[in-house]
Amino acid sequence: MKKGLWYWAFIAPALFALVAVVVAPLLLGVYYSFTNWNGIEVKEFVGFDNYLKLFDDEEFIQSLKFTVLFAVVSIFLINFFGLGLAMLVTAKLKTNKLLRTIFFMPNLIGGLILGFIWQFIFTKAFDGIGQAFGIESLQGWLSTTTTGFWGMVILMSWQMSGYIMVIYIAYLEGISPELIEAADMDGANGWQKFHSIIFPLVAPAFTVSMFLTLSNTFKLYDQNLSLTGGGPYNSTQMVAMNIFNTAYKQLDMSYAQAKAVIFFLIVAVISLLQVYWNKKREVEM
Amino acid sequence: MKQRKWKSGLLALSIVGAMSLAACGNAGDSSSGGGKDGDKTVVDVFQFKVEFKDQFEKVAEQYEKENKDVDINITTVGGGEDYGAALRSKFASGNEPAIYNIGGPQDVEDWNDKLADLSDTKAAGAALEGTLAGATKDSKVLGLPYNQEGYGFIYNKAIFEKAGIDPASIKDYASLEKAAKDLDAKKDELGIEAVFALPGKETWVTGLHLSNTFLAPEFDNDVMKAYDAKDVTFKYGDAFKQILDLQNKYSVAPTVSLDYSKQMEELFSNSKVAIVQQGNWVYSTIAGIDEELANNNIGLMPIPVEGYADAKLPVGVPMYWGVNSNKDEKVVEASKEFIDWLYTSDAGKTAVIEDFKFVPAYEGYDSSKISDPLSKAVYDYSEKGETIGWVFMGYPTDWGQNKLGVEIQKYLSGKTTWDKLEKSVEKSWNADRNK
Repeated sequence: MKKGLWYWAFIAPALFALVAVVVAPLLLGVYYSFTNWNGIEVKEFVGFDNYLKLFDDEEFIQSLKFTVLFAVVSIFLINFFGLGLAMLVTAKLKTNKLLRTIFFMPNLIGGLILGFIWQFIFTKAFDGIGQAFGIESLQGWLSTTTTGFWGMVILMSWQMSGYIMVIYIAYLEGISPELIEAADMDGANGWQKFHSIIFPLVAPAFTVSMFLTLSNTFKLYDQNLSLTGGGPYNSTQMVAMNIFNTAYKQLDMSYAQAKAVIFFLIVAVISLLQVYWNKKREVEM
Repeated sequence: MKQRKWKSGLLALSIVGAMSLAACGNAGDSSSGGGKDGDKTVVDVFQFKVEFKDQFEKVAEQYEKENKDVDINITTVGGGEDYGAALRSKFASGNEPAIYNIGGPQDVEDWNDKLADLSDTKAAGAALEGTLAGATKDSKVLGLPYNQEGYGFIYNKAIFEKAGIDPASIKDYASLEKAAKDLDAKKDELGIEAVFALPGKETWVTGLHLSNTFLAPEFDNDVMKAYDAKDVTFKYGDAFKQILDLQNKYSVAPTVSLDYSKQMEELFSNSKVAIVQQGNWVYSTIAGIDEELANNNIGLMPIPVEGYADAKLPVGVPMYWGVNSNKDEKVVEASKEFIDWLYTSDAGKTAVIEDFKFVPAYEGYDSSKISDPLSKAVYDYSEKGETIGWVFMGYPTDWGQNKLGVEIQKYLSGKTTWDKLEKSVEKSWNADRNK
């Protein structure tokens, strides 16, 4: 197809916006990561110094480990609950519409607010229940690494499951009833239907959902900030927060840029691999 | 063919580019050529103190009335937002303010090229001794203090009275420990949850303020000495540990996740704890919850440092005013005049004490007009000279909060020992100063 002047004229505004807000900052960021930029001016070019420093930065590595662990656990739980809720609201229930709205609602609340709400629940409500019934494990939430971790997982699953549910609903409703009927006639039980028919047919939804949950959990910042703030002792600090703190608290701008570039590469590679791998498993109808 | 595609693409891109540039240009023109204010000197102020924004704007209006040829625009970014980051983007955008805030030696170093010499201002002459130290470089005054602030142990007088303890008797660690034990023993009777509320989550309370009490003597109370020091040795480390342990032992638990709002609003302001480590800035928080308590029943005492002279109150300057030297001579002069007026004219002085409720960092103020008990205590201590400096302004960037404060959290969680803590933060101080 010939792409004439009009083609480019129409594409130019979007192209310009993309270059100005995505491509240019990205390239600039990569450039800064090779300098000792302090946020005010570039003093000199330092080559790979910033990147080499990363290998000795225990805090960064710790935050990376924490993020990966968090992402794995949340991706599993969010998709599990998302699919579960979707199955529930596509079943023949009278309260379908209402339930869908309710399940989707947490997603409409901003991350920061959610963090503060759950902080209250974990530190006050959990504590209150724990004290009333003498359950030790419900007390002192968010004051240890483990409870901080699970606090974040619970918050994230609660927030994102509804969103992921909507995606699964679309695919579940797209499955033609004849297939299920045919399976019924063949005498398939519930699990067999789920495993051999529903599951392969909603596989494309997994691609979308896993991509969304993966990038969302990896890049998480606001919930992290308001729920635990990285505490105690920065042990629940995720990579995005570590980068932000390096840049704006320690004012080590170029080093933070180097971290951001590495982080970008990791997220990009994982996301692409995951999409490639999931695409291969999808069935076309 | 391929070439043509490229060319047309480029052309389209450049048209859009040119259009948007033209749009920017227009916008710029219309704002600067706005006509009637043309002959006025515009002074843009970019400041961080949200708490006194309204009062400050009113005072600026008053100044504009007295000086018709000056136009003062105030922008405030602070509170929950990051002033340092905002200031950097403000400069990067090319829309540079004339007056802005700098925090201490590191800021002075970073912004050095963009700071005018303020040595010849009246305010610099009137500044109290020691208050200019953090913003002076090569004997040039580059920043003028906002105000003074001080902190220590704030205690609830009513609770002390009920327990029969005289706060004046607390002079050293031993007497403080005894008082804490007594209060703890009578916890139920006094209706308190615990003696202290140690906010381990707020790394500025532990990593900056508390640590300053014990590091200031090591650096002779001189912020510049701390700023130039290659190493920190924790000369008074044992005393530091004692106070931290004491607060932790008798505090509402768990201390690691205890934050400012729980410490001040939930616990102290509701008389649920007897002592908290905070400064005069919490007055309005307490007054917002229990005005009676705030006005009549709180007191401020120093944190005792075992092995160092008598207990003294850490008093310092939280922020300085800097003037942008990149601006025209006329704007720089107008900026200096405004700051001078603010701190040395009668109208300005009244505003500083009565409207801003500042503890003044300049001489020639009537201290009896300071209304709240905490600020009054700070001013009294600084008048008597019983103060130690704020050397934490000279810590390596973010060392106090992110290294020491975080290690203290680890220590409070039982994940590290005090010896390891000292070694770890000594190492990071050294690494930062030798890079």
